Amino acid sequence: MTTPLGTFVHARSGDKGGDANVGLWVAQGPHRDERVAWLLSIVTPSWVRSMVPEAGDLDVDVFALPNLGGVNVVLHGLLGEGVAASTRFDPQAKALGEWLRSRHVDIPSELL
Amino acid sequence: MRIGNCSGFYGDRLSAMREMLEGGPLDVLTGDYLAELTMLILGRDRMKDPSLGYAKTFVRQAEDCLGIALEKGVRLVANAGGLNPAGLASRIREVATGLGLSAAVAHVEGDDLMPRASSLGLGDALTANAYLGGFGIAAALSGGADVVVTGRVTDASLVVGPCVWRFGWGRSSYDELAGAVVAGHVIECGTQATGGNFSGFLSLPRDAQPLGFPLVEMATDGSSVVTKHDGTGGLVSVDTVTAQLMYEVQGPSYLNPDVSVDLTSVQLADDGPDRVRVSGVRGSEPPASLKVCVNELGGFRNQMEFVLTGLDVDEKAAWLRAQLEQRLDPRPAVVEWTMSRHPALDATSEEAASCLLRCTVKDPKPEPVGRAFSGAGVELALASYPGFTLTAPPAKESPYGIYRPAYVPRDEVEEVVVLDDGRREVVS
Repeated sequence: MTTPLGTFVHARSGDKGGDANVGLWVAQGPHRDERVAWLLSIVTPSWVRSMVPEAGDLDVDVFALPNLGGVNVVLHGLLGEGVAASTRFDPQAKALGEWLRSRHVDIPSELL
Repeated sequence: MRIGNCSGFYGDRLSAMREMLEGGPLDVLTGDYLAELTMLILGRDRMKDPSLGYAKTFVRQAEDCLGIALEKGVRLVANAGGLNPAGLASRIREVATGLGLSAAVAHVEGDDLMPRASSLGLGDALTANAYLGGFGIAAALSGGADVVVTGRVTDASLVVGPCVWRFGWGRSSYDELAGAVVAGHVIECGTQATGGNFSGFLSLPRDAQPLGFPLVEMATDGSSVVTKHDGTGGLVSVDTVTAQLMYEVQGPSYLNPDVSVDLTSVQLADDGPDRVRVSGVRGSEPPASLKVCVNELGGFRNQMEFVLTGLDVDEKAAWLRAQLEQRLDPRPAVVEWTMSRHPALDATSEEAASCLLRCTVKDPKPEPVGRAFSGAGVELALASYPGFTLTAPPAKESPYGIYRPAYVPRDEVEEVVVLDDGRREVVS
């Protein structure tokens, strides 16, 4: 079923120089193990690029942190030369995570 | 040992130091004042006045709180020294003297690599500071300091240092050090551990009560419980702690000057209301090099926002762009146009019927992006699309910095603790 990623996925994002990073994890709640397995399976660099079209040409790393129920994503160069130089709307990527949570994705109905 | 945090950045809630000292028992109160951008801001302060270059808000907090901290025996440990920890230490001594208090103030230095920037291959930098670990802070506390101010230590070192001091960990107590780094990382951003900037905000009370600042109860083995003072706002839950653990990390290995932390080993567990236990953290040898925060002058920038309202918004934008770009002479190195969205059709408020067209310019020189740019935009006020208006008056250019990480061999950096009586100890 198509629904916002943030239905049960939390996020926090920020910057390190010109790189943006975002953590995505499954909030404490029902079906948590199954939801974590689903999240770990869908978040790949190409998925991130499709969700964040402006990262289409960038190197993206995804690191699994199953112990925390999520993944750490690094979008290399999204912020150009960093916060003081970036012309991006959100130069520190503070709201990148909330944007991702609002993107619509297909979530298996048994996880909802 | 209970270690609190009262600052996540330079500009955080000024009253937090008093709130943390009065709100419940603590052994050490820490504060992080330094972001990458902050070093640049302090660098500009120092250019104007060489006696500055530290976080001035820490001085105001000390004026208000030094007496309570001393009375309660709470050590203050902060990286508020920025580019001038010696200057901040002497300023805090003046504050103590002015208040009639006797406080031992120490500082940690050696992080500032500017004097050797070119020989270390760091280029034409405005600021260049190695990220130091926690052992200097530990030495300062062992030397009897009531207040320890540092320059660029890692944020987590503010917690690692007091743990090394209290628990006597060695350089190779990697698992213990890693536990302290994780605890330090969780509280370094203040209320981001207690419900601030939290995706799960709908589960918070969301009333007017300010979010409480976090603290960690550290155990000898490096495990900890994250909590906050009773009766303060916000929430400490597995999710609020996860949020902060996930923040600003660059992969599964979290590198610090004292230890490399395996983030896949961290275990979080509910330990009662507003309590989360952190355990299982594994560490290993730290990297051979130290990371350096380098800021360079990138150039100058400026920006204008044009309001476009009602019909034919794309045509209005295109005409303005054509007019303004033709007048930019010399053309700035970077000219970027963005328009966030189209206004609503048949809108019932003028704001909903409008959108913003933003033009950002950058150049290595100030002139092309100064009044030559904003003046050219303003001169179109009566000479362009219908409904021309701006969100702000025309501005002058402002300089911007570029942060980049660099790496230097450890033996190029001599970390020194300067105790209250002026004795200097090299940290080994």
